[in-house]
This record gives sequence, C-alpha cells and structure tokens, in this order.
Amino acid sequence: MKHIFTAEGLRKLRMAWALLALSLAGGAGIAWGSHWYLEKEKRDSASSERRLREARSRLDTVRRERDSLHESAEVFSTLVDRGLLQNERRLDLVELVNALRARYQLSGLDYEIGAQRPLALAGGRVFPSVDVLASRVKLRARALHEGDLVGFIDALSRTPQGFFPVDRCVMRRIDVAAVDSLQPRVEADCTLEWVTLKEKRRG
Amino acid sequence: MVRHFLYLTNARLVSLATRGGRISARREFAASAAGALEFDRHIAGMADAMTYLITDLAEEDFRLDAIPHVGAGDRDAILNRKLAQMFRATPFRYAVTQGRESEGRRDDRVLYTAITNAEVLRPWVDALERHHVPIAGIYSAPILSSALLEELDLVFAHALLVTFTPGNAMRQTYVRDGAVKFSRVTPVDLEEGQTLGAMVAEETTRTWQYLDSLRTFSQDDRLEVCIVVHPSDRPAIEPALRDFAQIQYRILNIEHVATKLGLKSAPLDSTADELFVHLFLIRKAPNHYASPELRRYATLARTRLLVGRIAIGALAASVAFAAWNLSRVFDSSEADDKVSRELYTINREYDQISKALPSYGVGGSTMRDVVTFYNGSIRGFPTLPQFLVPVSHVLGAHAEVRLTQLAWQATDEPKTTPRIAPTAPRSSPPVKALPRSIQETQAPGAQEDAANPPFAGGRYEVALLEGTVRVRVNDFRGAVEEVERLATDISRIEGFHADVLESPLDVNPAVALQGRLGERDPETMETRFVLRIVRERRPGGSA
Repeated sequence: MKHIFTAEGLRKLRMAWALLALSLAGGAGIAWGSHWYLEKEKRDSASSERRLREARSRLDTVRRERDSLHESAEVFSTLVDRGLLQNERRLDLVELVNALRARYQLSGLDYEIGAQRPLALAGGRVFPSVDVLASRVKLRARALHEGDLVGFIDALSRTPQGFFPVDRCVMRRIDVAAVDSLQPRVEADCTLEWVTLKEKRRG
Repeated sequence: MVRHFLYLTNARLVSLATRGGRISARREFAASAAGALEFDRHIAGMADAMTYLITDLAEEDFRLDAIPHVGAGDRDAILNRKLAQMFRATPFRYAVTQGRESEGRRDDRVLYTAITNAEVLRPWVDALERHHVPIAGIYSAPILSSALLEELDLVFAHALLVTFTPGNAMRQTYVRDGAVKFSRVTPVDLEEGQTLGAMVAEETTRTWQYLDSLRTFSQDDRLEVCIVVHPSDRPAIEPALRDFAQIQYRILNIEHVATKLGLKSAPLDSTADELFVHLFLIRKAPNHYASPELRRYATLARTRLLVGRIAIGALAASVAFAAWNLSRVFDSSEADDKVSRELYTINREYDQISKALPSYGVGGSTMRDVVTFYNGSIRGFPTLPQFLVPVSHVLGAHAEVRLTQLAWQATDEPKTTPRIAPTAPRSSPPVKALPRSIQETQAPGAQEDAANPPFAGGRYEVALLEGTVRVRVNDFRGAVEEVERLATDISRIEGFHADVLESPLDVNPAVALQGRLGERDPETMETRFVLRIVRERRPGGSA
C-alpha cells in the first residue's frame, strides 16, 4: 500500500486518479442534472395538478351556481317583480299608505320616512354582490277598532310591491269620555324598514 | 485479460501467456546469459501483463519446525525471525503453518522454505524489474503440489508426487496428510543402459529410505508414489516399477490429469509446468517468495485497475441513477398528459355550463345574494298579527282581563324588553304598591333611536302586555292568581313563554305598599298588571 503514495506510485497512477476524478465529477453532474430535471418535472406536474384542482373547483362552483340558479330562479324572479332590486319609489309608498288607510278606515295616520341608508345586518353580515339599503319608516295610526290597525299593519307587510318588515309596534287603548262617540279607541306606534337591494357592480 | 506465467527451473524458463483462463502462448528460454538476453527482449512486449513466477528449483530448501501456538501477530513475528535465522542469505523465503501437533503443548507445525541461492532468480527478476513488469508473486511449485493432489482426489496419509520439469529434471514432493513436508529435484541423467523407469524407481526408493530414516513411517504405513507422465513416456517407466509393501506406484496419465483440471489442450510431453499454471488459474495461491518491494508494480497495477473500476462504477451508477430519474420523468410526463387532457375536458365543460347559465340581467352571484338575503332575513321575518292571533285566543278565555297596551318587538336578543308607558287604571284599587318607574326594570332601548339600528333577524319576538283584571274588591289574591293563570296559559302556546313582570299587587318587601280603604267600597275593582311574552322562532320554520 505504501508504494501507492510514493512519488513513483503517484506518477504511475496519475492518469487513473484523473480518470477517477473526471468520472466522479461527470457522474455527479449526470446524477445532479437528471435529478434537477426530475425535480423540474415534478414542479411542473405539481403546477398542473394545482391547475387541475382549481379547474375542478371552478367547475364545481359553476355547477353549484347553475343548480342554485335553477333553484333560485323562481324566487329571484318573484323578488325582482316585487321590486327588491329597484330603487325606492316613494310616491308608490305614499299612494300605498293612503290606499291602506282608506281600506282600514284609520281615523288618523302620521308617518315619517327616513333617509335611505345602508342597512347594518345582524352579525355584520355583508354580501359580495349586493348592498342592502333601507329607509326607516315610523307610523302612528289611530282607529276605532284594534282589528283595523292589525289589518293595516298586516297588509303593509304583505304588500306585493316592496318589502316592509315591521320590527316594533306599540298598541294602546285610548280612553274616551263619551262611550258612544265615534272617536279613535286604539292607536299604534310602529316602526318598519323599507328594504331594497342594489347590485354592487352597477355602482 | 492477459496473464503471464513464468515457470523457472534450473535449466529452463518457460513463458506461458494465458487469456481467458486458457494458455494462449508458450516460449522457453535457456537458463543462460543468452537465454536471459532473449528473455529481456521477450518481456519488453509483455511488460503490462500481470506476471506470476513459479519456481521449480533444486535450490529450494524445506525445513520443518514447531513453534508455540500464539496469536497471529506474534506468530508472524516468530516466523519472520526464524526465517531470517535459517535463510539469512536470501530474500526469497517463506513460512507456512500446517496445523498443530496432536500432543504436548499442541505447537503449530511450520514448514520453512527458501530459495537458498538468490542468484538463480536474479537475472530473470532483474529483467522484470527493468521493464517495470507487475510481478504478482513468486510461487513455489512444490508447495503447489499438495493442491494438485487434492484436485486429483489423491489424498493419502503419505504421498509422493513425482513430476518432470522443463530442463529434464524430476521433482519428488512428499505430502503428508495434505501438507508438503519435503521436496527434492533430481536431474534426469540416465547412465548407460538405464531406463527412465529404473531411474524413477531408484530415486523414489531413495526418497523413501530418507524419509524412513527420519522416522516418518510406521510399520504399516505405505508411501503412495504418484507419477505424472505423458503416454509416450509410460512404456519407458511402467515396466521398471515394482510395488512393495511400503511403496505403491500410481502412474497418472498427464492427458487425463489435464482433462480433470479443465486444461483444454493437454501437454505434449511429461513436463508439468502447464499443469501447475492451470492449477494456479483455477486455485489461487498466496505469494510465497516475492517481497512487497518486488511486487510494487503489481500493487500499482492492481490499484490502477481498482481505481478504473471505481471510476466506471461511479459512472455506471450515475448513469443508472439518471436512467431511473428519466424513467420517472417519462412516467410523470404521461401523468401530465393525462392531467392536460382532463384539464381540457374540465375547461370545456366549464365553458359550456357558463354559456348555458340562465341570465336574468344580473350576475349569478347577485341572484344568489338576493335569494340568500331574502331567505335569511325577510322570508321568515315575524309579523305582529302572527304574534297576536294565538295570544288573542288565550285572552278570550279570560273574560275578566282587559288588554290596555301591547309593545311588541322583533329582535335577535331574547333579553330585550320593549318600552312601555304605564297606563293608569280607570279605578284605582284600595291597596297598591307605590309606583316604581317601569323603566327601571327595562333594558335600555338605545338602539331604537339610533341613526342606523342593525336589522334584526327576528329570531325572537318580545312583547310587554299591559292589562287590568277585574275582581271583587280587595280580592288581590284572586287577581294575582288570575294573572298567573293567564301567563301559564300563554306559555302553553308552542314557542311562547310568558312571565309576570308586574303583578296586580307587588308584595315585594323592597317596595312600599299603600292602602286607602274608605267607608264604602265598590263591589269590584280593576288591578293593573304587565306580562312579558317571548316567542322564539325556530330555525327553518315558524315558532
């Protein structure tokens, strides 16, 4: 073994050592190059897999949207017809209140429609595509019979044009001196929201 | 791979080149100055071949000894010291242990051997050195003889192998129980009228006598003499050989021996050099006589070979690794193609669905949001009439109760309490709790007046129901019981729960109580009360 590392040994083996060094370097290069290429392919494959997953997700979304649209189409159509996606038509509301007042023979009706504002929903919920707007409406009505007041409120809630959820109401009797006189016997103070939606992308 | 064997006798040097385990060339040189010169030219053309020098010389001396059985390191030291003592004048010396004594300390049996006259080897070794020939080793033909007998299945307690060497000499090697003990060379120098057989018989008998004089044999022992001869020499030998009780001759046909060893072409005469070379090819032996210095070119050649193999191995391994990687790349590419096809199919279906989606003048997400908002916030929002209808039915069953005021609120917070302004009853009862502001018991209703109160989902409906109950005068117990019955009856409605917030007579010790009884009391009285009613709307349906 000692002869390998003598001057003569090193001289006679220099080609062999050089060949070994070249082979190791070349082999390492080949191995690294092939490994790099494989890793690159893996990265490309991973990218393809990711794109495939995204495409599948997109497809699932559009399928769900399609199914959802089919299910919601009828409801949506009704809501559009009831003006949920329209701007407030205050004149229509004025006329509606007048009509209902006459129908239920209210002896007095005071109302106040507040300025339209974005409606804060419970839990801070927001929708990505629509803004929820509302105008607060306060009513004070008087009637001979509480059934007229309840009928008026019910009719306002069920009107085919617009959405007016009543969230507060106080009804009380009015004491009158003359029992037989035609004076209001009951009054109501109610508060409701006139709700409309606005599509965001339409500005 | 070419290997070069040199078979050296006192008269001749035979050069045998082998390739692939077969002898491919043979050349003989006389053991003389002219022969050495010729060999020098010959070796120049084979300087790169690994060279094995087998000696079959008269100058080889054999001595038997026994040394204490010690560890390997100590044993090597003892053997080297003994060799130096025994064969001081030659570097070509060798010792081999041959088992242990059966008695006493059970010492190791050792055979020492050496080429006592180094000058016999010198011209040839010098020539090899001059040409930097890689000498793998120098081997003793007598020591190889025991292996030859084993290969021929001639294993005896006492065997004498007789072979003929190039240069017309006869080698006798005594092998006892498979171990070489003694060997000698005799020139074949026939006297007038003497046959080769007679000479063999005389020399083997002489050897037996020598061994017998060393007390090698017991009375019953017999020496098996195995003579390797060419068929052409057999007639000259066989008639002269006579078996005795102590000696038995076995003539081995060299062609049969060659066949048994696997030698493709049998020797053309009785010389055993080719047999030993072939034996060496099939059964490697350790170096006997060559020093490490003499073998340095072989060491370098083997190192060069090893380094080359490592280099090739490294390259092959990396190529194999690369091939493995590429195969995985191909697999991955196939998978990618499959993914691409699937991606194309998915995108096409996506486009088809997107194009076929119904359009209502708004985006799909808008439609979804509108419907979601409606279903979540508007569709099931409670209404006052829905609340009043079941309560009215209950009130109808309590004729003495008169409703004076109702404050109702849709909310998500069940603890909410609507505001209410107390109504004074038409006739004040004679005993009453001193008025306490109703607002003390109510939660603040700040949100009612806020600029933008949050829109409640309406999960709960909370109402304060104020009324009066008519009872006989001073029947406060009856009034309290009537109001409690009313609360109980309302609580029986599914989803409703009612509590008495203000009793007809507040008997709480913390509240002041005042009574004003006159001389004449009316027959009945009306007492005021307040109920708090909560209705919970369960998810997915009405209350």
